[in-house]
Amino acid sequence: MSAGVALAAGIEAAGVRRTFGNVVAVADVTLSVPRGHVTALVGPNGAGKTTLLLVLATLLKPDTGRVRVAGFDPVTDSVEVRSRTGWMPDSFGTYDTLTAREVLEFAAAAYRIPRQLRPRRAWELLALVHLDEFAERPVHALSRGQRQRLGLARALVHEPTVLLLDEPAAGLDPRSRIELRGLLRGFAAQGCAVLVSSHVLSELETIADRVVFVDRGRSIAEQTLAELPRAERRPWRVRALDPGPLMVFLDHHGTEHGPPDAHGVEVLLSGDEAAAELLAAMVRDGIPVVSFAPAGSDLEAAYLAITEDRQ
Amino acid sequence: MTRHQSPRLGFNLRGALTVAAHEFRLRIRAGRWRWLLGAWFLSLFALTAGIRSALVRSDQIRPGTDMFGGLMLTMLALALLVVPALAAQSVNGYRLRGLLATLQTTLLTPAEIAIGKLAAAWGTAIVFLVTAIPLALWCVAEGASGLRVAVSLGIAAVLLGVICSISLCLSAVLARTTTSGVLSYLAVFALSIGTVVIFVLAVALTQTTETRTTEAGTFEQTVTHPERVWWLLAPNPFIIVADAAPRTLEQPDAGVRLDPLGAIGEVARSARTPGSTLVDSEGIVELGRQAVWPVGLASNAVLGAVALVITIRRLRTPYVKLPKTVRVG
Repeated sequence: MSAGVALAAGIEAAGVRRTFGNVVAVADVTLSVPRGHVTALVGPNGAGKTTLLLVLATLLKPDTGRVRVAGFDPVTDSVEVRSRTGWMPDSFGTYDTLTAREVLEFAAAAYRIPRQLRPRRAWELLALVHLDEFAERPVHALSRGQRQRLGLARALVHEPTVLLLDEPAAGLDPRSRIELRGLLRGFAAQGCAVLVSSHVLSELETIADRVVFVDRGRSIAEQTLAELPRAERRPWRVRALDPGPLMVFLDHHGTEHGPPDAHGVEVLLSGDEAAAELLAAMVRDGIPVVSFAPAGSDLEAAYLAITEDRQ
Repeated sequence: MTRHQSPRLGFNLRGALTVAAHEFRLRIRAGRWRWLLGAWFLSLFALTAGIRSALVRSDQIRPGTDMFGGLMLTMLALALLVVPALAAQSVNGYRLRGLLATLQTTLLTPAEIAIGKLAAAWGTAIVFLVTAIPLALWCVAEGASGLRVAVSLGIAAVLLGVICSISLCLSAVLARTTTSGVLSYLAVFALSIGTVVIFVLAVALTQTTETRTTEAGTFEQTVTHPERVWWLLAPNPFIIVADAAPRTLEQPDAGVRLDPLGAIGEVARSARTPGSTLVDSEGIVELGRQAVWPVGLASNAVLGAVALVITIRRLRTPYVKLPKTVRVG
């Protein structure tokens, strides 16, 4: 591998457009996915996320635009891109009659991994996604989440350095989600470029450190999560042992709030200082506060702000 | 990190074998092959035994040649019913089930995927022929020529491969599995029945009126010219198998008796080289007519090759155009 390729960004795309007849799936997307980071691809349904990933995965030719994946053009150098890229589609089929181990060994063969190395690679991957006890079980007997993990293992079989994951957390139980987060961060730490699409924002917030917003086929913002604009006013959720005194306090304090429910009450605050001040005041007045935390996420707030004018 | 490099384009036998072995394994696990092959064998066995008992009762000559003729034609007809189903959903079925794209993004090339899938379907078709080999050997034991049996089975195997290739191509071109399935059967129908129908219609169009002068005087006669349109019959799989079977040297006493394969072959050859009857005035079977099967086999081979090339082209990614209603997955 030449130095130039090793240094190249995981993914660079500029001005990518892809249409299907009259339907513009991707109108104009520019993004970069650096190595060592997990980048989230965020946007509403039909924003063009899946089409964009298909372009990056060498399956669709863009109408216009420049694309480099692992330093290569997916159209003219698709073999180079494929040998370095792991792609997990949003929905994929499984060879139901094969066992989990056989699925991975076949994938290894399809990536031309020598025969004698395939069993070991399959077992490594099964252990990685915690499916080793199901290795000899036919795929049709696996649960949806287990198949999802098998699909992830399949995408990793040739040790790719660029990962394209389309809704990887769909169907995963909470433990698997946490493990997925750990896995993806681990890959990024090893120098992989990871691009994850999803519309579960709270999910992405814990996985990704960068985010690219797309809407109606256009990339509209690209930033790190730390740079996300703080919303002017955002909801916080406060819960007290006894909601009565809390409501009295909030009314007296003049804080805008919603109706109380089993999870406490939502209050609208402008900035962290206001939150700190409110908490201090509640404690001072002897309100038995049990929890006090921002409701919703920064990513969610930013997403809503960015897509707001486009509704 | 190790890189497992591959040829940029093109074809690697190991890649195709990977696909073929994979497909074959899926097929074996999916179907009730034991029952299917058992039913196949038993029905052909019943047929062969039936022909034998009928012949042994009525005739003194050894029945092997006729037994094999009946067996071969029936087997070909049944195989042509089975084989389209083997490949007609190989590509679009994979696409519908979300299995194609993850195959295309591996280092397997389009040619490897197409040829691997073809090999798996063709191999399955050949399993059917192989299952019938004991029956063919029985025919040999009853007097059929071993060469004849071997050539017929070999040619049939090639023709089934052509049908597999056409079906595979249809599954790569068409989005819906039902459409590709139906059209595959129509293709088989066109080759085996359509060719005969079109030939008969075309012969009628070759009719000319010719003036003949004989001792009795001059008269007009209507003449057809099948030699102008004989090639319409050539792609017919039944005619190819029948005509390719080496002729038996033993001539039965009656002089007119021919086994089913030989009879079909002679009809086809007489279309190519007409003006002579099967039995001339001295009752000698006329030999040396031009064979039809080389043309037929070659045209089928071209058909199969073209279908394979189209399949490979349709599997190429990145896709520029997609047919309507097709999802990439």
